[in-house]
Amino acid sequence: MNVSTKERPSTQTRVLSYAGALLETMDAALADHPNTFIMGQGVDDFKGIFGSTTGLAQKYGAARVFDVPLMEEGMTGVAIGAALVGDYPITTHIRADFSFLAMNQIVNLASKYRYMFGGIMSCPMLIRLVVGRSWGQGAQHSQSPQATFAHYPGLTVVMPSTSQAILDMYPQIIARHPGPVVSIEHRLLYNLDFSVSAGAPSKPIPLTSYVAREGRDVTVVATSVMVLEALRAAQYVAEKAGIEVEVIDLNSISHPDWELVIGSIRKTGRLVIADTSWLEYGVAGEVCRQVMLRDPSMLRQAPAMLGMAAAPCPTAKSLEDIYYPSQHETVEAILTQVRGTGHGVELPVERSMTEGYKRFRGPF
Amino acid sequence: MAAGVAVFQAGERSLMDSDERYRRLFRSALMIRLVEERIIELYPSDRIQSPVHLSIGQEAVAVGVCDALNPDDLVFATYRSHGFYIAKGGSLPKMFAELYGRVGGISKGKAGSMHLSAPEVGLMGSSAVVASSIPHAVGAALSFKRRGSSRVAVAVFGDGATEEGVYHESLNFAALMKVPVLFLCEDNGLAVHSFKNARQSYNLLEHAKTFGIECRRVDEGWDMLAIRQATLDALAVVRTGRPFVLEIATGRYKEHVGVGDDFHFGYRSAAEIDRWKARDPLLLDEKLVAELKPEIDREIAAAAEFAENSPFPGRDELLTDII
Repeated sequence: MNVSTKERPSTQTRVLSYAGALLETMDAALADHPNTFIMGQGVDDFKGIFGSTTGLAQKYGAARVFDVPLMEEGMTGVAIGAALVGDYPITTHIRADFSFLAMNQIVNLASKYRYMFGGIMSCPMLIRLVVGRSWGQGAQHSQSPQATFAHYPGLTVVMPSTSQAILDMYPQIIARHPGPVVSIEHRLLYNLDFSVSAGAPSKPIPLTSYVAREGRDVTVVATSVMVLEALRAAQYVAEKAGIEVEVIDLNSISHPDWELVIGSIRKTGRLVIADTSWLEYGVAGEVCRQVMLRDPSMLRQAPAMLGMAAAPCPTAKSLEDIYYPSQHETVEAILTQVRGTGHGVELPVERSMTEGYKRFRGPF
Repeated sequence: MAAGVAVFQAGERSLMDSDERYRRLFRSALMIRLVEERIIELYPSDRIQSPVHLSIGQEAVAVGVCDALNPDDLVFATYRSHGFYIAKGGSLPKMFAELYGRVGGISKGKAGSMHLSAPEVGLMGSSAVVASSIPHAVGAALSFKRRGSSRVAVAVFGDGATEEGVYHESLNFAALMKVPVLFLCEDNGLAVHSFKNARQSYNLLEHAKTFGIECRRVDEGWDMLAIRQATLDALAVVRTGRPFVLEIATGRYKEHVGVGDDFHFGYRSAAEIDRWKARDPLLLDEKLVAELKPEIDREIAAAAEFAENSPFPGRDELLTDII
């Protein structure tokens, strides 16, 4: 699948996979910043976190790219200690679920270090989490904890949905972001190719939200892989029904550009929220809270929400297929927002979302 | 007890009076004791609206260890860190202002007693979640090693912290990566109100040895010079790039949190602490206390006055320094 991203000033483009963008930014971080190091389970092995760190241990040495024992809390604490004396640690969790073992250090320490000590110390660091989906990931390899981490002041939480988002964000996070950043990457995106700007951005791009597709009829606020699903659905309804969807990639979960989001909802009056996690107490609730705080009347009707079913993730494919919102459901939500339940537009047959991501065939 | 270290007992004071090192350590320990006694006096006035975990009885550990460190070595400590803050050389006025919740405090009043720090003298942030600062010392030590620095990091924790998983993770990683970190266990035998024999099925030193980590226990937790020497001996190992576990037995005179005694609750007897008090130089060396106390009292009074005169943080501080 080759998904084009937003228009960029540069006319030169190239094709780069999500994993390739991660590898480029990790490589550049090590090359540009001698105080940077990468640690995590398997960062120096032959799979290299799904290709995002492959070869870096050989290139930069075991002191800068190294495997760790199974010690999520300890590793994160080690990262904090190193950050406090001027290093820039990058830690990895091959499944976001494993970061829960590090919650004490992330939530009780890293997120509070600067504030709790009155601004005299800080621990800038990048914590990379990979969300699993499909091929039977089950209840403990599939969770997407953006709402969990974004709940805590002091953490910056991002969810890059494209190779371009990685190229835009990671270098500036590593070079100048003052605090800890949790980046939630999605396993389904790793092997996808994206068209990216060939040159480096001329100026830093803020860690914020952006319009992934402009439209006038309905706003879809989406995260991570759901941005791609929204873009596919937007293309479908444009072709089948002439409906123009505005897709907003929330991108920065902890610090979205609310003016951008609200401006779009005011314009369209219709809202679909498409998130990679549960709807309860999550991104969907926060987007609605922001609308309610400003002017509920900007919505012509109740918004639609797409997310995981309110259950732990089942392993069986038949259940997994109905656990996540499919392309079929995404299109239907958009059509219903704009035309009502009697929209009369033929729906795509695609009910298993991962059919569109055939390159991912497990095991993990 | 280490060979060559004088056992302090009442009656031998005159031998010690000429010993500058002993006076330096004694003065620092007395400062901690008198600061905390002042906190006890102040507490009913509600000037300090923050939980306090007093170090009274454990002062010798902080001063013995910190005296053995170089100024640029780092200490990562706990919510019971008034002692380490003072022993490492933190500013007394800033400490009082912090306890008072004033902008003149180290952390503008956002830290309070449980999160003391003084990075300018090497005391990094203290944490109120048991064991959570142990891996921070390991991380700092890892960084020192990669840079070829001769600095070391010290993880200070109580015996209860060794029951937490991250203690084991930290020992394993430190031994594996061969980093210059001193694991310093203040063994006061209590986790809040629970005794060690109800909590631990292992022996701390034997446990450390399974990681190939050298270790030592000091039973004389009142003896500042013995602790200093044991720390120097441990640091000689640590500075060659090997972690070390140093366990020091000590006695917590006061309740876990708060400023009172807790013998009347019946869970422990005063006799358990009396054996520590019987060897406590701050109680026994009345002559040296009398000599040093007036000046220390003046310093404490000035620090408290500084705190009293420092403004409370205003609304502008509420949302600063978050990211």
